[in-house]
Amino acid sequence: MNYKSIQRLAGPVGGLLTAVCLMTTSVRAQESPKEEDFFKIMKVTAPEGTLLEVGGLTVLPNGDLGISTRRGDIFIVENPTSRKPYFRKFASGLHEVLGLTYKDGAFYCAQRGELTKLVDSNGDGKADVLETVYSWPLSGHYHEYSFGPKVASDGSFFVSGNVAFGDEQWWRGESRVPWRGWVMRISPTGQMEPWAAGVRSPCGLGMIDGELFYSDNQGEWMGSGGIWHVKKGGFMGHPAGLRWTNLPNSPLKLTTEQIYAKVDPRDNRDDAGRAIKPENVVDEKFTLLYELKKDFPQLQTPAVWLPHGVQGVSNSEILQIPAENFGPFGGQILVGDQGQSKITRVFLEKVGGDYQGASFDFRSNFQSGVLRMAWAKDGSLFVGETNRGWGSAGEANEGLQRLVWNGRTPFEMRAVRAMPDGFEVEFTSPVDRKSAEDLASYSVESFLYKYHPVYGSPTVNKEKCAVKGVKVSEDGLKARVIVDNMRRYYIHNLTLEGVRAKDGSYSLVHPTAYYTLNNIPTGQKLAMSEVSTRSSATEKPAATSTAPAKKSTPVKKGAKTAVVGTAAKTGEAVASVSKAPTFDEVKPLLNRHTCAACHNAAKRQIGPAFADVAKRGYTNEKIVELIYNPKPQNWPGYSTEMPPMPQVPKADALKIAAWINSLAADKGADAKATKNPDQP
Amino acid sequence: MIPSITRLVMGAGWVCSVGLALAQAPAGNAPTSLPLNDLSSFKAAGSNWRIAGDASADLVQNGALTATKGTGVLVNLPDKKSATDLQSTLQHGDLDLELDYMMAKGSNSGVYLQGRYEIQLTDSWGIKGARTGDNGSIYERWDESRPEGQKGYEGYAARQNASRAPGLWQHLKISFQAPRFDASGKKIENARMLRVELNGVPIHENVELTGPTRGAIASNETAVGPLVLQGDHGPVAFRNIHYVLYNKPRPELINLTYAVYKGRFQKEPDYKNTPPEAQGPLTQLSTGVTSIPNEFTIRYTGTLRVKEPSEYVFNLGPSGGGALMRINNAVVIKPGEGSLRGNATLPAGDLPFEMVYAKFVDWAKAGLGLAVAGPGVREYSMMAANEAGGEETDPILMDAPTNTILRSFMDLPNVKNDQGRTMRVVHAVSVGSPDGVHYTYDMDNGALVQVWRGQFLDTTPMWHDRGDGSSRPMGMVQRMGRPVLALRKLATPQTAWATDTAGTGYRPKGYVLDESDRPTFRYLAYGSQFSDQIRVVDNGQGIRREVTVTNPAGDLYARLVEGKTIEPLKNGLYSIDGKAYYVRIDEAGGATPIVRDANGGKELLVPVRNGKLSYSILF
Repeated sequence: MNYKSIQRLAGPVGGLLTAVCLMTTSVRAQESPKEEDFFKIMKVTAPEGTLLEVGGLTVLPNGDLGISTRRGDIFIVENPTSRKPYFRKFASGLHEVLGLTYKDGAFYCAQRGELTKLVDSNGDGKADVLETVYSWPLSGHYHEYSFGPKVASDGSFFVSGNVAFGDEQWWRGESRVPWRGWVMRISPTGQMEPWAAGVRSPCGLGMIDGELFYSDNQGEWMGSGGIWHVKKGGFMGHPAGLRWTNLPNSPLKLTTEQIYAKVDPRDNRDDAGRAIKPENVVDEKFTLLYELKKDFPQLQTPAVWLPHGVQGVSNSEILQIPAENFGPFGGQILVGDQGQSKITRVFLEKVGGDYQGASFDFRSNFQSGVLRMAWAKDGSLFVGETNRGWGSAGEANEGLQRLVWNGRTPFEMRAVRAMPDGFEVEFTSPVDRKSAEDLASYSVESFLYKYHPVYGSPTVNKEKCAVKGVKVSEDGLKARVIVDNMRRYYIHNLTLEGVRAKDGSYSLVHPTAYYTLNNIPTGQKLAMSEVSTRSSATEKPAATSTAPAKKSTPVKKGAKTAVVGTAAKTGEAVASVSKAPTFDEVKPLLNRHTCAACHNAAKRQIGPAFADVAKRGYTNEKIVELIYNPKPQNWPGYSTEMPPMPQVPKADALKIAAWINSLAADKGADAKATKNPDQP
Repeated sequence: MIPSITRLVMGAGWVCSVGLALAQAPAGNAPTSLPLNDLSSFKAAGSNWRIAGDASADLVQNGALTATKGTGVLVNLPDKKSATDLQSTLQHGDLDLELDYMMAKGSNSGVYLQGRYEIQLTDSWGIKGARTGDNGSIYERWDESRPEGQKGYEGYAARQNASRAPGLWQHLKISFQAPRFDASGKKIENARMLRVELNGVPIHENVELTGPTRGAIASNETAVGPLVLQGDHGPVAFRNIHYVLYNKPRPELINLTYAVYKGRFQKEPDYKNTPPEAQGPLTQLSTGVTSIPNEFTIRYTGTLRVKEPSEYVFNLGPSGGGALMRINNAVVIKPGEGSLRGNATLPAGDLPFEMVYAKFVDWAKAGLGLAVAGPGVREYSMMAANEAGGEETDPILMDAPTNTILRSFMDLPNVKNDQGRTMRVVHAVSVGSPDGVHYTYDMDNGALVQVWRGQFLDTTPMWHDRGDGSSRPMGMVQRMGRPVLALRKLATPQTAWATDTAGTGYRPKGYVLDESDRPTFRYLAYGSQFSDQIRVVDNGQGIRREVTVTNPAGDLYARLVEGKTIEPLKNGLYSIDGKAYYVRIDEAGGATPIVRDANGGKELLVPVRNGKLSYSILF
């Protein structure tokens, strides 16, 4: 584990962490470069008071940057990559502009209610013609955000629209007026064609190789976010928009009733007639989205799932990297995330005629939620940010930053490709043969999400996939692994913790990939004679990967409050000072169970800081209960509700709880608080 | 993302503050009407005062106000023979007062509470900001002994100029608190204008008055005094004078004590056998008696001294927990959470009072609100002044120092949509001007939605947190009713005006800005191109709208306005809705306007000639 990144996560909890870091077994891994050693986040200066809640970004042919904001402004920035960018207000007074593009001398933007063309016809630097290209219906509900446009290869525009939420059933996404929950295509002369249905919160639209993709957010019917290929007449999964398929210009005829016949919408009421919000049922027979494809061929599963809490919580802009940008990643795809304030990278391929591929972490630590991205002429990336209304990682509520590559190649998985018998990982630089031919360097498991009317979904059907053999190419740039138990449509999580680079023995900057296996390719399988089956795990019985040795911690822990019920089970634990887990011990749990997606030890992110949770004085058991059934009403001022996390094993949850409570013990003053009467 | 539930849960909490006053009439406080069938409500009226059926004033000519026969309207027409003020026989202390008034052009009058504290009434039409001498302002005090130029002092300008034009009825709402005196007659508290609203716009809140303003009937201050209407300075008319007197003594809480019990109680603790964590006397109700963050109960006991036997209404708002209240050993407010309310008919005397507040919501701050109202008793808070309040949001306000546009949703409080809910215009464009006159345009219907004067927009609803997408006008608004397409083809002059654009081929085309950033809207209908331009009229008197059509189809009519009444005046001027505002036809190519019945009221139509029409809204 890396010293610097631990510090950033745990902040003032300080002391014990320096001790922890010295305990990691792999000294070389500690020195491995991190993402910020290759991609630097820089500030784009703006005049004081310029509120940049970025909703749209576009770079003009002359290199100027166009910015649209949620406050309805459009700015043009001259010399945006220089030390002194020059801001000019091009237009204002628009209604929450969540997308901007520039075509043939005009700006086009999506406001809440229309696609607008803006032209400066008298050359004074400001828009004076604000033409309504197409005005679409709105019900006036707060959540009916509209996004776009992205320009199709024929010059027409794609826009998309969020669903609204119910009154009594505030959890239910509804399509109250036509084409909410849809993607629309609009010609430059304003002819609108409904394109595809089933979107919920289609914040990111992107053209990839002439095809439209979109990103959606976890929510009801959406177990996790991801990116979808949007074909004409497609249905992406959320049933709300199907309400309008009976209209004459609808490209699909699938109805809401047809979906509800397959999956219970759980529109239930209690004895008093009040609507009941559907919650996850732990032991139930459930449906997976792909299972409906046989009945509904228009149904699209994501091309690439972006596992919730790992690769974002509110996925946003989809942007292709030009072939000449960002070195080994040219041509691949970046997806922003508004909640974790990070960018994920996606490698896309086509197998069996469908898009699929792998997602990798790319860059985090933007100052606010990443909504939009655009390429500067010099190959750097503008990142537009806002989190108003939802909260996010990062210290700011909005921002405009720039990501710059320093030209050095990071040691990363460049791509993961599906093979008839497993996967082939391509690296950005050659691997160290010994570690790459060691089966213990790889682990694979797969899982999916439920398709149900509940908000989000735990990961389900998780199974290990044994790695049976690996073949490393001559040049050391590829490792092809034979993997058992490949399941079509499932998300396959490959972790290459043990693979090292040939130069420097560095570990991968991001050792994890998530491959969405929509199709298993046909073709030649590897023969066992071609592959290495050596595994250091079987050679050395006591081998560990990165688990630190348990030494006594130099820092005394107060442990007065709730360290009840942690790993120490026997009675003797009472006599000795019961030790809460260290951060190093819980960090893998926090990542695996996606706690770290929304929580930080000391700082408020999407959710409260763990230290603030500790102040509440809950017992460990109570925290576990709240992990399974959170009470968002206990945290007003946090706009995004924590979803229930029943998939966290109890032992892990207790460990996390104990560590959280240990944060309160470290702060002397709070430990003096009155004894919690719940506690024995 | 799912909507935040915090707003639902935070309903617990605050129901009142000192200035609540006008929000709703408490039980037993229905307003009394001041009869205007004759002058018997007044003392010795001068001949400049008379009763009439209606009044009207000329928009252009100074001092021209005429009365028509009838009753219900009080008119002042001062002349050389008589120009006196008018005093009511009513004597008042604390009161709420509402009335309509109409100014003649250039005229000046005033309403004196207790004959001593004046709200200025004057024709301030066209003036951008209000000064202390302008309409609705609290007139200055006067001290002759001060140096020249400084004799006038402590006048308070209205927050905005919320005036309407001469000849239009204006609406004034005043909540007034009289000065307080001790038993020896010494003043212990100044008079206050608790709240003053002019034409729906709050212009004063909680303004303390140190003494009578200039022109008062006396220089002393008293517990009660008459209402005085100024009559010496120009024609003015009044009607619909309503008031509520708050002349009964408040119940007071005395001998308060508190006791704090630690723990989370599902029901009340056994007070006899539970030792309190803390206890003691208390001068005023407050939750600040303990600093325990959570899981405690405070029991307040004391005496409610009731001077006036009556039915009282209590509003109780516990924050972060629940509360109950007993008076005279009877439960008045049952244990509950959120906004609690209870009525109690109380005899005069010292009555046992008990209130219990239980705090158990761990995340919330402790807080409590208790207010009481009754016949003749204005609602007031019984809590200590520093008791914590509810959620605090910084307002986000938008000015129009230059011509400024904002697109947003816009709610129309007086219009219901087809589902019976408040109509929300979803493609609304609001345009503000530095003249202080603004309007909203509905791009779904090519319709003028509303005009207003004063401050531009409150954008807090759309820009605080997630927002709901809407903004609100902040000045004095004149709404135009349900937005409909302004120009339509009619088969005959009697064909009803449809409420949607179906069949017209209506398609909005956006707008074009001139060099001053003023928009001209464009749309298509009936295959023709329409250009719709709204501009502020000189001197901020209103707006002028000009619609031009290229290649117009025949039989095109314009519907300018609808209203309960439409009254033709001279020179193309009409007064709408019983003199709420004016419409003036500026250019109609010689076409004859039509006033016709529609929807239980009237519509003003004009055939469109030569593809051009312009009219003004003056207000």
